[in-house]
Amino acid sequence: MNSTKLSIVDLTKRYAPGLEPAVDRLNMSVEEGHLVALLGPSGCGKTTTLRMVAGLMDPTSGSIVVDGKDITHTPVNKRGMGMVFQSYALFPHMDVAQNVAFGLQMRKVPAKEQAKRVAAALDMVQLGHLAKRKVRELSGGQQQRIALARALVVEPTLLLLDEPLSNLDAKLRETMRTEIRSIQQRTGATTLFVTHDQDEALDMADRIAVMNGGLIEQFGPPTEVYERPNTHFVANFIGQANFLTANVVSENGPATDGERYYKVDIEGLGTFGAVGHPGLTGTHELVIRPQRLQASLHAPLGANSITGTIERVSYTGDTLGFSVRAGERLLHAQLMTSSADMPRQGDTAHLSWEAADAYIIPKTPQGPAS
Amino acid sequence: MAEAPLFKPKLKVGKPLFGILVFLMYVFLSAPLLIVFIVSFDSNQFLSFPPQGFTFKWYELLPKETTFMNGLRISLIVAPIVTLIVLLIGVPAALALDRFEFKAKGALQSFFLSPLLIPSIVLALGLVLLFSPLRLTNTYAGIVIGHVAITFPFVVRTTLMSLATSDTSCEAAARILGANSWTVFRRITLPIIQPGVIAGGVIAFIVSFDEAVISLFVAESGLPTLPVNVLRYVENQADAAVAALSVILILFSLVVVVIVERVMGLRKALR
Repeated sequence: MNSTKLSIVDLTKRYAPGLEPAVDRLNMSVEEGHLVALLGPSGCGKTTTLRMVAGLMDPTSGSIVVDGKDITHTPVNKRGMGMVFQSYALFPHMDVAQNVAFGLQMRKVPAKEQAKRVAAALDMVQLGHLAKRKVRELSGGQQQRIALARALVVEPTLLLLDEPLSNLDAKLRETMRTEIRSIQQRTGATTLFVTHDQDEALDMADRIAVMNGGLIEQFGPPTEVYERPNTHFVANFIGQANFLTANVVSENGPATDGERYYKVDIEGLGTFGAVGHPGLTGTHELVIRPQRLQASLHAPLGANSITGTIERVSYTGDTLGFSVRAGERLLHAQLMTSSADMPRQGDTAHLSWEAADAYIIPKTPQGPAS
Repeated sequence: MAEAPLFKPKLKVGKPLFGILVFLMYVFLSAPLLIVFIVSFDSNQFLSFPPQGFTFKWYELLPKETTFMNGLRISLIVAPIVTLIVLLIGVPAALALDRFEFKAKGALQSFFLSPLLIPSIVLALGLVLLFSPLRLTNTYAGIVIGHVAITFPFVVRTTLMSLATSDTSCEAAARILGANSWTVFRRITLPIIQPGVIAGGVIAFIVSFDEAVISLFVAESGLPTLPVNVLRYVENQADAAVAALSVILILFSLVVVVIVERVMGLRKALR
């Protein structure tokens, strides 16, 4: 069984007394070998959290425990971490091999073993042939891999990645995503990965911690965070979402994974099927992903159906997005463009969904839904 | 990847005019050097222009002229010590200014650069008034302190410029990889800011070597540096030996600057 590698307990960072904390009593535990993404908009505290784990920043309160040992007050150079920075932070006055060897030198590894491990690390990132190159002669993607090799060669207790892909162009970013993930899985390095890119997080992570305002809004596997968002923020931040305010009318029996089917009332549109945690009552927000809405131009496809007028069509090649107005509500739907029936602006459309795809956000909404 | 020029002069007519202006400015800047160079080979007994004949005698005279040799000896003792001390103080000061946030940061920064703005005669007078009761006049310590004060801003500036362009996450990366503060400074920070440090050191050396006013006030009678003795020499005998000495000093500075430029890229550091 997997064991806990990193526990963060009530970690708080306040930059100045009186200011809102940048990280607010954060709790999280990371299993050995997992890659955990800290995902959120800028200013949500994800980088601050990472820097505290690295030891580059002192927490105001709370503790960080690695392998059962409290390292909150261990100096940064004694923590044995490996970190890849957004700017890569390669040492400009050293060549590639010297960069990678630096951590081994600090650990006083014998020269012979150093050379062996540096070569192995460079082979791992497929850049063995560049060992003698100057850092500035490398492309962004190569620098990125060298930074990864330098962090991993010391066999770090934790691998910390701070937005490592954000300086690469779109195409390379996807290649590096796969590569970093496969290297991480091969080495088994427990990894914390800071990103503001939901695709990166969904694609790479074992667990995603969605952060907002110094708090973790939800911590779970990618599918859970996407399909079963705990809060409006999570649903809104990850992927696209339609939000509908709904009143729970009745529970309609068990669904999968301990959830329940519900009958809900959406004001002005009627009653519909939805799914959610057991024991829900009162007013909640319903979230439906645009690509889970089925569209038909002729007749409603099923029980949970809304009829409206197509207000806008947006064609992006792979998919066709359109906005349907039903009363004062605007719903977004997405279709694969192979659909024979191409809807046009002004057409009447029927949008319908499976009850299992309309998820009731368990927390009651605070303020009007956007 | 050719970059489009940001500014493209369109005045075709103005181009020759601009060329002439640039040429005249070069002439203006280099005229004193050229004249000194010519005069140093002039056979006339007194400093004058235009020259009347060609001779090497002023150059031959230099090693025998004890005023110059004594001054040179003192200057060559002072300048390296000043350079060393000002680097030892200036580099950490620049690091502190760049890396730490503290209340008096702006004020301190201005204060550190202020010797550039104070007329050296004011500084020199102040130093004499301060040094007399401390018995520091006519001592190496006195000259060195004075020179460190005026060269300090140069070192702080050049180092700050290097720091401004360096990536602080390199230091963080080194610390995470297990380096302690001293190792980070020695193996990462110092090599990265080396161009600025070297540039500051070279400027400090040249400024100290060249400085006359403070040396004159603080140690004229006891430890006259080379510029002080040159001044004295010109007061007494106006011959071209001074010109010969100047040519040698110019060549010396030129050689130093060229070597540093070749090895370190001084221009890059001063940009």
